[in-house]
Amino acid sequence: MDNVKNSIPVAPKVTKETKNKIKVDFERTSLWKRLKLKYLSMNFVTGTVWKIARFLLLLGISYVILMPFFTKISSSFMSAQDFGDVTVKLVPRYPTLDTYIAVIKDNNYFGALFNTVLLSLMCAFIQTFISSIIGYGFAKFKFKGNKILFAIVILTMIVPHKTLQFSMFMRFTYFDLLGMFNALGFIPMPTINMTNTFFPLALLSLTGLGFKNGLYIFMMRQYFKGVPDELEESAYLDGYGPFKTFFKIIIPLSVPMLITIFLFSFSWQWTDNFYTKLFFPSVNTTLMPSIVTMPNSLDITLAPSMFQAAVSNAAAMLIITPLIIIYLFCQRYMVEGIERSGITG
Amino acid sequence: MNNAVKTANKPAPVKKKAAPVKKKSSRASLDARKARSGWLFLLPFILGLFFIYGPVILDSIKFSFGAVKTLPGGGFQYDFVGFANYNEALTVDVYFVQTLTQGIKDLIFDIPAIVIFSLFMAVLLNQKMLGRAAFRAIFFIPVILCTGLIDEIDSTNALTQYMSDNTSSINTGAGTDTVNAVVSMTDIQWMFDSMKVGTELTQYVVNIMNNIYDIINRSGVQMLIFLAGLQSISPAIYESCNIDGASAWEAFWKITIPMVSPMILVNAIYTVIDALTSATNPVMSYISGVYTGNGGRELSSAMAWMYFLIVIGIIGIVTAALSAFIFYQRRD
Repeated sequence: MDNVKNSIPVAPKVTKETKNKIKVDFERTSLWKRLKLKYLSMNFVTGTVWKIARFLLLLGISYVILMPFFTKISSSFMSAQDFGDVTVKLVPRYPTLDTYIAVIKDNNYFGALFNTVLLSLMCAFIQTFISSIIGYGFAKFKFKGNKILFAIVILTMIVPHKTLQFSMFMRFTYFDLLGMFNALGFIPMPTINMTNTFFPLALLSLTGLGFKNGLYIFMMRQYFKGVPDELEESAYLDGYGPFKTFFKIIIPLSVPMLITIFLFSFSWQWTDNFYTKLFFPSVNTTLMPSIVTMPNSLDITLAPSMFQAAVSNAAAMLIITPLIIIYLFCQRYMVEGIERSGITG
Repeated sequence: MNNAVKTANKPAPVKKKAAPVKKKSSRASLDARKARSGWLFLLPFILGLFFIYGPVILDSIKFSFGAVKTLPGGGFQYDFVGFANYNEALTVDVYFVQTLTQGIKDLIFDIPAIVIFSLFMAVLLNQKMLGRAAFRAIFFIPVILCTGLIDEIDSTNALTQYMSDNTSSINTGAGTDTVNAVVSMTDIQWMFDSMKVGTELTQYVVNIMNNIYDIINRSGVQMLIFLAGLQSISPAIYESCNIDGASAWEAFWKITIPMVSPMILVNAIYTVIDALTSATNPVMSYISGVYTGNGGRELSSAMAWMYFLIVIGIIGIVTAALSAFIFYQRRD
């Protein structure tokens, strides 16, 4: 840069032509000299080397991330001959759709898809709504116990689900509203068995305790903290109550953030295998985890373990295809969501 | 507090009078009214806490101290057995203590690896370059797709292991053997030879390289948190630093690191929590193996609580250790 400055011999001459027009006369450095200064400097060389190295590094890591998906895709198309052939690695020599057809037909894929869409949509809607309400309560209202309650929300994130799975199962298998008495074993009351229905997950979502709900509440709280208080104050002055303010002003304002939470909640509920296995122990309600089994119609005598892998790969592809489609269109919301939430505090 | 002062200072006296007239029933102060509506907003969570979560936590603790028999007519019978389950987990079960110590050791070694990797990647992805949006999208894929069910399928996938078996051909990027063909102990040894470091560090680096897929998979959210943190640093600080003649290296250590240090703490804690609650965690999968076994439900509760307490201890230690180095910028 210094060189460029030094190479200009005389200062530019400015003349005023008309009222609104000026003319600047200066000696322009020749194109060759400018190019030389720009591209034959150490600065440019190190910059280029760094750019190439950075690009290669990112490309390599992207490869590591994407490779399992390629192997999944390719192995799900492999046929029995390919498993027997040692030379076949990534590209199947005899591609076949048999695995997919068997998984779709025998394992009732479309039933599972329908149920999972229903379940995920329900959970995502309820969780988005409830965590925005709770997050708003935490962000904008100061009262005694606020901090303790928020610490409990964080605690619900920390306590592993596994720790609670047995008692969670017992609670919803022998459900009654004042369940504490029954669980303590004092009064044997008639109970409702809620397993194999959507009720346990709906109840958990409604109370902000569903899968990763603590994180959503945290994100919404951080987001609402960034919304200026003046908005609400002017709404209060115009005679709105807190709830009317929330629904008429805050919610329309935060639609992008709500979409982020919705997408997170939808896709995590979609691939969740903890709550679905816990609350749907019966085989009659088909959900996504239940399609990862060996279909009966496949002849697996040749290479059983390979076939097992191929089937689970095909099932995995069938499970994540809808998510990939959603991700392709909505990744902007997901990537920007956490940045927007100002989770950094 | 702030709100009350602000509304009182508003210059429109008519409106100020009108507000209390409308709310005849409640003559409480603004703070009290706001507190009440705050409780209303939190009502769903409080209800859940009292009717579902609290009892579930209590039950879980109670079950870990007892034995539960399912009665044929519906309902169940609970017997208190004291520390028997804990005793069994620690003394009778041969594998639990071993798995637990190994799991905790892995966790402690993973924290710095994941935090450093995600910080590095966030710094890279924060720079302006060709295809930044595409790289960001790719790096975020594991957060959405490699969770729960897919994770479980991947961990038991014989075919990807088979594909990565033959080191002479391709790498799948999914097995632990993967990068072995590219990076081996000797390569790293050669690199570190001139620096005077022990073999432990070399071994650690080699382990990280070999588990790179695992580490990438687990650092998606951390990367985003760092990215958000990096974007909140004002460019003016870098500019003034540049004018004073600092190199990019110096700017990184003197500006970036202190400015993102709160995020380092957040990410360390998030990493611990994430590892703790993920299904592929060896201790957790051992516990769920016990859960499905005969009479293992109470035992698994006891094990999970012990593990939880240890991890809470680790979080406390990490927080205490990192708090000394955190720089908080004053925002007011």
